Amino acid sequence: MKLGFSAADEAFRAECADWLQGQMAGEFADIKGITKLTAKPERRREWEQQLAEHGWACIGWPKAWGGRDATLAQQVIFAEEYARADVPGRVNHIGVELAGPTILAFGSDEQKQRFLPGIAAGKTIWCQGFSEPNAGSDLASVRTRARLDGEEWVVNGQKIWTSLAHISDWIFVVTRSEEGSAGPKGLTFLMMNLHQPGIEVRPIRQINGDAEFNETFFTDARCPADSLIGAVGDGWRIAMGLLAFERGVSTLGQQMGFRNELDGIIAAAKANGAAQDPLIRQRIAQAEIGLRLMRYGALRMLSQTDHSAIGGAALTYKIQWASWRRSLGELAMDVLGQAGEVSAHADYEWDMLPNLFLYSRADTIYGGTNQIQRNLIAERGLGMPREPRGQA
Amino acid sequence: MTMLMDPAPSADALALATSVREYLAETHGPEVLRRLDAASGRDPAIWQGLVAMGLPGLMVPEDAGGMGLGLEEAALIAAECGRVCLAEPLVDTAFIAVPWLLAHGDTALLADIAAGNRTIPLPHAINPWVDGGEGLHSVDPLRRLGTAPSDPPTDPHLLNLGALMTAAQLVGLAEAMQDQAVAYAKLREQFGQPIGAFQAIKHQLASCTVAIEFAKPVVWQAAAALAAGRSSAAIHVSHAKVAASDAAWAMAETAIQVHGAMGYTYEVDLHFWMKRTWALCGAWGSRAFHLARLDDAIIGGAHPIGPEHTFA
Repeated sequence: MKLGFSAADEAFRAECADWLQGQMAGEFADIKGITKLTAKPERRREWEQQLAEHGWACIGWPKAWGGRDATLAQQVIFAEEYARADVPGRVNHIGVELAGPTILAFGSDEQKQRFLPGIAAGKTIWCQGFSEPNAGSDLASVRTRARLDGEEWVVNGQKIWTSLAHISDWIFVVTRSEEGSAGPKGLTFLMMNLHQPGIEVRPIRQINGDAEFNETFFTDARCPADSLIGAVGDGWRIAMGLLAFERGVSTLGQQMGFRNELDGIIAAAKANGAAQDPLIRQRIAQAEIGLRLMRYGALRMLSQTDHSAIGGAALTYKIQWASWRRSLGELAMDVLGQAGEVSAHADYEWDMLPNLFLYSRADTIYGGTNQIQRNLIAERGLGMPREPRGQA
Repeated sequence: MTMLMDPAPSADALALATSVREYLAETHGPEVLRRLDAASGRDPAIWQGLVAMGLPGLMVPEDAGGMGLGLEEAALIAAECGRVCLAEPLVDTAFIAVPWLLAHGDTALLADIAAGNRTIPLPHAINPWVDGGEGLHSVDPLRRLGTAPSDPPTDPHLLNLGALMTAAQLVGLAEAMQDQAVAYAKLREQFGQPIGAFQAIKHQLASCTVAIEFAKPVVWQAAAALAAGRSSAAIHVSHAKVAASDAAWAMAETAIQVHGAMGYTYEVDLHFWMKRTWALCGAWGSRAFHLARLDDAIIGGAHPIGPEHTFA
């Protein structure tokens, strides 16, 4: 088994790096290195359009829909070079990586015509309406109701943790469309325009002072009857298909960002003498090993010779990277020592490493907690008996 | 060297701590922390309440207007300060500065301190800032840090007092986070039952409880050893700081995890305790500093080992 990229892939890498670094040194130098997803929203939208104009907005999509038909390896390479060039996160990540692929896989031709060009052009920003206050780990218990009223769906309820809803244009929503149904049955997957009086978005403040995510309230919100993907009652299958995209390429490309963070920690340890401490040295070594593990795991998946009996990376990758990065945040703080407690700027304005610590508190929670991941590995991967549950 | 084991606080000390706990629970809830953070300021009424309880004079001798109590009592009260995430300079002034001044026979400021008219910022070479100053921004929005002087004191007794009282606060912080996480695990339902019914949740909380319960006697032992002026006091203090930091750190991480995404929000109170824990784990000597003191003493022979010492 050969792990690595081909010569053609490496040529593609050079092309990505050249363009991205040129942008960050030129027209978009003002957004280079921004870590907050909410900072400079107007410029971030312009950046989405710049990516689109130069053919980089959705390289994994088919050429017919504005993509490049890029291979999995090329998509990973692009994500790596994106992080290496210190380009800030995509405000339309959800449109490009989740909504688009879901519409491509499950949507009708008319829906593709209607929704894909806006995403490919970097002009329509999407967010995700899955979790609810009482449907987090237990996602299938969503209660947001949808009923058909003539030519329209009428939606009532509440979603939560809707990242970037306050700057988005569209939302996809998992709704309960069959009255009296429970669990994964009776759900319908709707696409809704956020710019309507029936939808109200309220930001939720995070522990680091930022407000990336929101509560989104639906009060007689409306969308045309043909706004559903798949059939009525088919929402759970579509939602699970979408989550498979979430766990795919976009997580493999994170590793370059992780590399940047670990390098920042190593540089700080050398600069302040923490690198003399044998315990810190060993933890840096362990962090390096953890990063390499993820790297080889990703290359194994890309080699398409992954014969793991339990679905390999698909099931095990989330808990691996999340646990690794949460520890990385703690290592960053221990390397900085007491200096890490203090911000040079103002309350709630921290440098990269303290921010890494705070952000990484959420890694083992969002996208399925570590506890849910372990249940998935044990129950789906290893075929163990299901966790006993109370009366739903 | 005798190794008297006296890790259990006296009944009187516990009664005093209980009355302070009740007072703080009533007057210093999470809504106070939110108000202070929003106003980025202090509320003089909080300090006046502590003064009315006589707490700034807890360790000041009775002839100078205080209660004349010792480090064991002070450590118990410091834990109560941690439990409510108190931001007033009570621990620094009353439980670190006062015993340090007393140890140096410096009595000039004691009456003023006992009356609540004076707080003492404490520069020390172990800290890159001065607690009780102004001008620096801590990750804990309620902590008041100022720039360290160019030539801070290096007194080891001051360091031990600071580390001991920090460990005591961490115990209180850990217990408060434990209470919050347990309450949430009982309340929050998923899959048709409280999440605390799942072993994946309850086992994490149980593990934290083990760490907290074993940290407590180590802290009280350190207070007793430092109060008695034993030669082993520094070792006990380092042990206490490491044990309390580890317990509080694990508790903070677990409490966020148990709260799920809510634990990552400002709306849930937990983050105030988590940030104070983060700050205090580093204050008055990092984990690395205190572990180095321990391994120097154990391997270097200054700390006697063997059953006749460990079980004396």
